[in-house]
Amino acid sequence: MAAHLSYGRVNLNVLREAVRRELREFLDKCAGSKAIVWDEYLTGPFGLIAQYSLLKEHEVEKMFTLKGSRLPAADVKNIIFFVRPRLELMDIIAENVLSEDRRGPARDFHILFVPRRSLLCEQRLKDLGVLGSFIHREEYSLDLIPFDGDLLSMESEGAFKQVANMMIRMKREFTGSQNSIFPVFDNLLLLDRNVDLLTPLATQLTYEGLIDEIYGIQNSYVKLPPEKFAPKKQGDGGKDLPTEAKKLQLNSAEELYAEIRDKNFNAVGSVLSKKAKVISAAFEERHNAKTVGEIKQFVSQLPHMQAARGSLANHTSIAELIKDVTTSEDFFDKLTVEQEFMSGIDTDKVNSYVEECIAQKHPLIKVLRLVCLQSVCNSGLKQKVLDYYKREILQTYGYEHILTLHNLEKAGLLKPQLGGRNNYPTIRKTLRLWMDDVNEQNPTDISYVYSGYAPLSVRLAQLLSRPGWRSIEEVLRILPGPHFEERQPLPTGLQKKRQPGENRITLIFFLGGVTFAEIAALRFLSQLEDGGTEYVIATTKLMNGASWIESLMEKPF
Amino acid sequence: MDCYTANWNPLGDSAFYRKYELYSMDWDLKEELRDCLVAAAPYGGPIALLRNPWRKEKAASVRPVLEIYSASGMPLASLLWKSGPVVSLGWSAEEELLCVQEDGVVLVYGLHGDFRRHFSMGNEVLQNRVLDARIFHTEFGSGVAILTGAHRFTLSANVGDLKLRRMPEVPGLQSAPSCWTTLCQDRVAHILLAVGPDLYLLDHAACSSVTPPGLAPGVSSFLQMAVSFTYRHLALFTDTGYIWMGTTSLKEKLCEFNCNIRAPPKQMVWCSRPRSKERAVVVAWERRLMVVGDAPESIQFVLDEDSYLVPELDGVRIFSRSTHEFLHEVPVASEEIFKIASMAPGALLLEAQKEYEKESQKADEYLREIQELGQLTQAVQQCIEAAGHEHRPDMQKSLLRAASFGKCFLDRFPPDSFVRMCQDLRVLNAVRDYHIGIPLTYSQYKQLTIQVLLDRLVLRRLYPLAIQICEYLRLPEVQGVSRILAHWACYKVQQKDVSDEDVARAINQKLGDTPGVSYSDIAARAYGCGRTELAIKLLEYEPRSGEQVPLLLKMKRSKLALSKAIESGDTDLVFTVLLHLKNELNRGDFFMTLRNQPMALSLYRQFCKYQELETLKDLYNQDDNHQELGSFHIRASYAAEERIEGRVAALQTAADAFYKAKNEFAAKATEDQMRLLRLQRRLEDELGGRFLDLSLHDTVTTLILGGHNKRAEQLARDFRIPDKRLWWLKLTALADLEDWEELEKFSKSKKSPIGYLGCGSGCRRGH
Repeated sequence: MAAHLSYGRVNLNVLREAVRRELREFLDKCAGSKAIVWDEYLTGPFGLIAQYSLLKEHEVEKMFTLKGSRLPAADVKNIIFFVRPRLELMDIIAENVLSEDRRGPARDFHILFVPRRSLLCEQRLKDLGVLGSFIHREEYSLDLIPFDGDLLSMESEGAFKQVANMMIRMKREFTGSQNSIFPVFDNLLLLDRNVDLLTPLATQLTYEGLIDEIYGIQNSYVKLPPEKFAPKKQGDGGKDLPTEAKKLQLNSAEELYAEIRDKNFNAVGSVLSKKAKVISAAFEERHNAKTVGEIKQFVSQLPHMQAARGSLANHTSIAELIKDVTTSEDFFDKLTVEQEFMSGIDTDKVNSYVEECIAQKHPLIKVLRLVCLQSVCNSGLKQKVLDYYKREILQTYGYEHILTLHNLEKAGLLKPQLGGRNNYPTIRKTLRLWMDDVNEQNPTDISYVYSGYAPLSVRLAQLLSRPGWRSIEEVLRILPGPHFEERQPLPTGLQKKRQPGENRITLIFFLGGVTFAEIAALRFLSQLEDGGTEYVIATTKLMNGASWIESLMEKPF
Repeated sequence: MDCYTANWNPLGDSAFYRKYELYSMDWDLKEELRDCLVAAAPYGGPIALLRNPWRKEKAASVRPVLEIYSASGMPLASLLWKSGPVVSLGWSAEEELLCVQEDGVVLVYGLHGDFRRHFSMGNEVLQNRVLDARIFHTEFGSGVAILTGAHRFTLSANVGDLKLRRMPEVPGLQSAPSCWTTLCQDRVAHILLAVGPDLYLLDHAACSSVTPPGLAPGVSSFLQMAVSFTYRHLALFTDTGYIWMGTTSLKEKLCEFNCNIRAPPKQMVWCSRPRSKERAVVVAWERRLMVVGDAPESIQFVLDEDSYLVPELDGVRIFSRSTHEFLHEVPVASEEIFKIASMAPGALLLEAQKEYEKESQKADEYLREIQELGQLTQAVQQCIEAAGHEHRPDMQKSLLRAASFGKCFLDRFPPDSFVRMCQDLRVLNAVRDYHIGIPLTYSQYKQLTIQVLLDRLVLRRLYPLAIQICEYLRLPEVQGVSRILAHWACYKVQQKDVSDEDVARAINQKLGDTPGVSYSDIAARAYGCGRTELAIKLLEYEPRSGEQVPLLLKMKRSKLALSKAIESGDTDLVFTVLLHLKNELNRGDFFMTLRNQPMALSLYRQFCKYQELETLKDLYNQDDNHQELGSFHIRASYAAEERIEGRVAALQTAADAFYKAKNEFAAKATEDQMRLLRLQRRLEDELGGRFLDLSLHDTVTTLILGGHNKRAEQLARDFRIPDKRLWWLKLTALADLEDWEELEKFSKSKKSPIGYLGCGSGCRRGH
């Protein structure tokens, strides 16, 4: 069921099993039938850990979403709240509990904080006079959710920055209580999103990245317009087109997807057509099957072939949908502007395409993303240019967006250029962020994921493993934030003898989010034959430029 | 070795009992044991003595002394008894001394005479006084049972979790029972008492009369009763000199014995080994000790001095003024090996090894004999087991040597049992040492577990020995060394004569970064002793900031707590401290504190954003953070006010703030917004329709769509909309209207700033 998690060098399925076990243990603590009241935000991440069937096995009969006033009626013995530790949620829970008491049979209440118990929340519950109503108050440390064989995410909206210091301290705190374990990872690289504000702003051009850019992947699921997925039958006349969005799960468990997800979209078509030929050839085999034995062998392969055909059909449809978008004039124009910015062309003046987008009232997120990209690629905009953009945006989209603009400025995405110096060209050249000779079909460099731009974050990781950061001291000084290295000595008994040809494993932790294109680039590095390093990726959130900007937007009404 | 079995006494056909000396006591007793209240803890525990002046008619003028000794007679504590008359003493399972006073108050002392706490056994007891009391052990802990002057019983099954239970009345009970005891059945404590010829069993609910099966006739009174260590067996001593032995359930009789001594015995205790079929009780009179079992004859010893019996799991300890002895049934393995003319494999192996050392060929003969019977494995096991039961190291050694010798001739004998026995014996010999004085037998040690033994060493402040044992047994640090060091540190902080600095330094030197040591626990102890400064010093060594915070708060070092909480990176902890501080300090001080802690400030701002908007404003005000203040008022203009005047006023405040923040752009933009709002209001009044909260762009579009081109132009001029955008706007609007004439006119009016291509695409889009 979760086989795709165990493919990688580090078996992440262990992690999934551990959190599942913990969940079962908690559920069994509350004896009898139960209803779960969900903090809506948690349902997605939990879906990756446990299906409804698992909950059902443990006598979960009803599920509700957390909202004010009364709980819906349910004939169960236990009510369990699954919530994030947030004060506003505590208020709702208290309201639920208080309106409950007046009715019928007494039910047991429990609360499960995800991922941490919080004194503050308990204090709030106490103030509201309901703390005593809860029999079990526990925490469920669902920190890192395994998404794929090499990908973990915390799926939390806001993450704390000083993780590094904490980790070093934690090491001291917890040694002794843990038994000596053979270390799985050789290196840990922590990257704060602040170091690389640029990459997420650019449009991802890998297959998976584009799906995310256009349709948004939520907890490994994507919802697609249904028209393309209508069953093709003759005589239907397209009468009953399904109206509900088509929901697909995307992960490496699907063979075809695993193959094409990280490819540049331009290389996907040829793979799909090649696959199509292989599959139809395989189906043609049946005509050659003469003996009973041959037919039997053919039949035994049928389920696999049919699955492959289904998968191919799905991805062909998705690819068509994406192609409709990528071949549009506007997409092309936008991409051109992005690439101009990233290769350092005319970043210091008002861009006419951006101007047009505003004038034609294109989606605000798109405009902000472009303006921010320009700002980052120019180490900040000239005051005049910045003010012009801001005025245009306020006049077109409304003055309330002054708050959003302010948030972007606070995040450093949008800023005036200080000291009149543009550092970006230096960074770009030293780190070879722009590659003119990009090969989308058979990539030789990570820059293929953005068709030219090599993501800064991944370049840093690449340089760290070879030749090391000492060669780029200059640039590191320009990049925001301090950088440091810490070596963890291992007890001699635990030092592994590396087999010749065995790669080092690096856990790379993106604080503040990571994009699918960056993941693709890291996977590309892992697969390089002479790369010498394999990466396992952890992050606080899977993101793209749009979701990022959106998280910084503020709508006062 | 002929004399080795000299101290073995047969009881019946199948069992031997032996008595050997554990220690010769060199305690300097001032009193006779018989004049004292005596309590000795099981598992080789300490002995407490309190000269009992209250039993005599005239009250003593001198205060009695409570003395505590180790089992080897080393003094551990001595203190003047200043409280009320004591009826009974007893040790709890945690080796705390419980002293039951006449008024029902129980005082609890530590091993070193340190007062721990006290509790009362209730009003009823207080009124009727305590006549007699027993301390007993159950699987939950230690209990106290009390017989009051009103001949009622009150008991608590666990003094750690005090729940008093008053037992039901015994009907017609006029005088104190001749003897009584506590029983423990099915996890519930009962009381068995004897009144004249009758026996009564008291449980929570009822009092029932019981009769032991097969009790000899003619009994008019029970003088003594004894319950075995495991509560499984009961022995009764009657006034006819008859002893009945059976199960505690009183359903089965095991055996009986008539000793023909009618004098009431001083003490009677069970003496049996776990898993042994033999049952025996030891009865002590002034000068006579008798071991009685299922045999026509008893074993008799003469007591030279006043002696006191301590029942143990696998035997009886007997101590007097000069010696401390152990009496027990000889274990099977020892019996097999040492019994005269024994041909058991173990015995042969021991013999073989001895001959081997003498370089005699007989060694080979013996070995062959064992091997021919295929019993070599069994022989080795026997020797190992017997070694465990020997008290004397030389005997242990010779048995282990024999086992080791036998092992050489076995191919696959798993070594663990041998190795473990060697280790266990080393530990046992170490704690049995005179200076330590814990005479544990092997069975007791196994029952007690190494963890508890370490606890007991720690209780006796024998830290170095405890650590040596941990290191020797290679116990994991968290259970072993670290835990002991932590205990040591907790003891250290109580030494009031040493300065804070010295204590802190000494502790840190010893503990260093030893994993698993909680400095905050030690600090909490220091604080408990009133040494706040020391506690703070110790907390500095605590690596987990999260652990430091609660104690710091408790010690009212809130500001320090705040910086520690921030260091921990645990936002929840920071919030906790912040809310604490907020209640503790006045607003001004609170804000000042925040100001010095940027991280806390930003967290608190976030908190306020959701919880206390007004406070947020105050915070910005205090910091002169006009930019944020401006944003705050912008938000407020949307949130609070419905009326346009109110909104404009809020925006004006915002604009002022932006000016102060030197954010000219934002200030101008806000002023523009105010202008637009007023304008939109006027438009709504004049033209009808909805204009409020449309963007400028949309307002102009709406005007064009409504055919108010002039007003649109005016608005565009007022707000200086760039030509390019205005063109796009008009194009889109006119195309939407499908007003091609106006569109044509417009496009010809002046040169298009966006080119005709744009013009075309605009039309296409509109169509």
